[in-house]
Amino acid sequence: MKIIVAIKQVPSRDANVKVNAAGKWIEEQDLNYEINEPDAYALEEALQLKEKHGGEVVALCAGPDRVSQTIREALAKGADRAIHIEADDLNALDTLGVAKMLAAAVKAENADLILTGLQSDDLGLGQTGVVMAELLGIPHGTIIMQVEKSDGGIRVKRELEDGWFQHVEMPLPALLTIQSGISKLRYATLMGIKKAKTKEVKRIAASELGGLAEKAVSLDKVYMPHKQKQTQMIGGSPAEAAKTLVEKLKFEVRVI
Amino acid sequence: MFHLAGLSRLSIASLAIGYAEPVGFSRWEIVLFLVLALASLSAFFARFSKVLVRIFESKKDPDFRLSPIARRVWDFVWEVMCQAKVIKERPLPGLAHAFVFWGFCAFALVTLNHFATGVGFPFLRSRTWVGGFYFWFAAAFAVLTAVSIAALFVRRLFVRPIWLGQKVSYESLFIAFLILALMVTYLGAFYVGASPGTIKALWWAHTLALLIFLPLIPHTKHLHLVLSPVTVFLKREGFSRIPPLAGDEDFGMVTGRDLTQIAALQAYSCVECGRCTEHCPAANTGKVLNPKEVILGLRGYLNELGPKSEEPLIGKHESLEALFQCTTCGSCEYQCPVGIQHLPMIIGMRRGAVNTGVWEDDYGTKLFLALEKNGNALGLSSSERDKFIAKQQFPIFDGTQEYCLWLGCMGGYDPQGREIIASFARVMEYLGTTYGVMKKEKCTGDPARRLGNDLVFQTLVEENLRNFEQNKVKRIVSICPHCVRTMAEDWKEYGVAPEIEHHSEFMARHQSRLPNKDTGETIVYHDPCYLGRYRGVYDQPRQVLALSGTVIDPPRARERSFCCGAGGGLAFLGEEQGERVSHNRAKELVETGAQVVGVACPFCNTMFRDALGATSEAPPKLLDIAQITALQLPQKVAARADG
Repeated sequence: MKIIVAIKQVPSRDANVKVNAAGKWIEEQDLNYEINEPDAYALEEALQLKEKHGGEVVALCAGPDRVSQTIREALAKGADRAIHIEADDLNALDTLGVAKMLAAAVKAENADLILTGLQSDDLGLGQTGVVMAELLGIPHGTIIMQVEKSDGGIRVKRELEDGWFQHVEMPLPALLTIQSGISKLRYATLMGIKKAKTKEVKRIAASELGGLAEKAVSLDKVYMPHKQKQTQMIGGSPAEAAKTLVEKLKFEVRVI
Repeated sequence: MFHLAGLSRLSIASLAIGYAEPVGFSRWEIVLFLVLALASLSAFFARFSKVLVRIFESKKDPDFRLSPIARRVWDFVWEVMCQAKVIKERPLPGLAHAFVFWGFCAFALVTLNHFATGVGFPFLRSRTWVGGFYFWFAAAFAVLTAVSIAALFVRRLFVRPIWLGQKVSYESLFIAFLILALMVTYLGAFYVGASPGTIKALWWAHTLALLIFLPLIPHTKHLHLVLSPVTVFLKREGFSRIPPLAGDEDFGMVTGRDLTQIAALQAYSCVECGRCTEHCPAANTGKVLNPKEVILGLRGYLNELGPKSEEPLIGKHESLEALFQCTTCGSCEYQCPVGIQHLPMIIGMRRGAVNTGVWEDDYGTKLFLALEKNGNALGLSSSERDKFIAKQQFPIFDGTQEYCLWLGCMGGYDPQGREIIASFARVMEYLGTTYGVMKKEKCTGDPARRLGNDLVFQTLVEENLRNFEQNKVKRIVSICPHCVRTMAEDWKEYGVAPEIEHHSEFMARHQSRLPNKDTGETIVYHDPCYLGRYRGVYDQPRQVLALSGTVIDPPRARERSFCCGAGGGLAFLGEEQGERVSHNRAKELVETGAQVVGVACPFCNTMFRDALGATSEAPPKLLDIAQITALQLPQKVAARADG
């Protein structure tokens, strides 16, 4: 099975994030970056499928030079080779633009399976994978928790709401977006890092993949969530106060 | 003239009851002796050369250096010639062993003469001054050796300490018997009434015992007779020192090809005395690990497969499970009388397993990912540390302060560890020492280092070194012996770390300026492995504690201290098999009857926090030396917010 895993590099979880002067994105200096967590699980799933069924795992990542660190980690954990789409500023694109680039880069690979995390930790749009599948003209499944090979295709377990799951049979090739936390991640080893140095990383300039398309969606404003604390004193007799409290909880705060 | 003549008459009279030399060897006897001697020596060399070949065919130790030669000579004199370590750690059997050893040394000349007599050229004669004296001198040792070997025989056959192994080694008993026979046949020749025939029979009995003994040496633990003096002399520098990896293909000890000459020499030197096992926290609490078996496993591997084998070490001869039960407390290495360095081997094999991804453990993986991602072993966000610093209003180190106060993972993230840091900060403030904490800190890499993850370790060390350099840090003080050891020793291969000391050393240096008010309490002090055996700091924490109460030692103290169970990354590896190491130690501490358990390591602290409660109805108070000192400070200084 040939599997492509699309991974993204995002600011690390405990980074001290500040909004930039333009108010359109965050300050990128002094930030530490890491692999997007759901993508780490997509990579783990790919590696486990390869261990079970054989084949090849190719890591696909778009971004500036700094993403080569994330690519190296993916190779160290066991990906066989990687494709680096050199794009200086992913924020200059919308989801469709990113998906177009990714799809164009993997089209010729004719992979059996494309995996990616269900969403990114920075933007959290959850669309890139789905749009990519559409562009490649292959079926997709989202929020996948389990992948098993079946005759002629795969059988996947999807997470629905409220503790419900859905089991779906799918043909191959297909694209799956993987839920975070579904398995145990492996640690990178010294041997892996040493081997990673000898593995192939194909670099493709963003311009070779149709360039930067016109944005259909643009990011207007980035801001820190406001913490609000309001205190209201409810007067009257205990019975009246209780009645007012219930009303407020029901209709204003809507928690009961 | 007159006097001299009188003296010589007297001497001859006394020598008459000296060693009686056999006389009148026939040609056939000489031929028989030569044939037997040749056979015995050939058998010895045939077996011994195999061992030597395996040792010399092993990989060269890439970083081995003979200097400092003075230390090596001293170790040789002290540990081999004086038998100091053998006696110190097991006085009675140790002394018995020492007498046998010294007896062997004294006998070397007698034995050479014995053989020379067999071919008709004795060089020691009992009628000469030198000979007469020497035979008596050797006889004194023969008596001591005979008594000692008989005692050791009884110990092995009847007392049977479990450390010697489950089964009685009949081979060892037979060798003990041969040694006894050697002594008795020698002493017999002093018997005045013996006829020349008896004297010759004794000579033959002595000779046969020797010729049988010789070929037994190379394939029994008695190989240590030949090898261990060399092993002690060639010991690698440093305690529990982990050698740097050499080149891109070195991942630690994976196959026979990774065994170095010194490792092979040490494996063949093991005398199977079981001192390592006797003191091992894992072996004492029902785990699979037995350090003696780790060494014998390597010997078994070399015997079966040799040093050129590509077969993994872990498998038939070494157990993966056992290797990861080691707390790296260092007792085995400290105790070993023949100079075996267990930790470079145990950690070497862990490195092999982790660096190649063979070791799969949920807890271990979680720890490595936490170190990779969060830079601390507890897996918490670094903002938690920022909040603690803000709450305590610790000054940030900016190069102007005397000390950088290193928080470490425990001091920065663990509630109990934070209390220790806060207490120690108060002590520094009381003393008027300026300090600052790092704005950002990452784990020193200790758990990764001991578990054998070189990738994580190297990344952490390099980030920390960069951080220190940028902030111009020169002197560090830390509450954690693990941080201290790792920075001071293990970082060396990556650069020059700032000077670091443990807070016990700092406080002991300033003890004259610290409050000295006896609380009337008895404090039992637990020596942390990484402060004691690893750093040789035993007195300083005791001096600091003595300012506040009466300090007592548990039965296993100082160099013989028993581990809390946390070291070697094991604090993060989940539930133990068998009895918990911490419970075993906590019981011992409680039984001393002390009101306070004084500790000097945040890991020991966290282990005993649960263990004391679990093993005692009314557990003693558990406090770090810094907390005990801080309790004595005037209120004004003590006003800092609690951790």
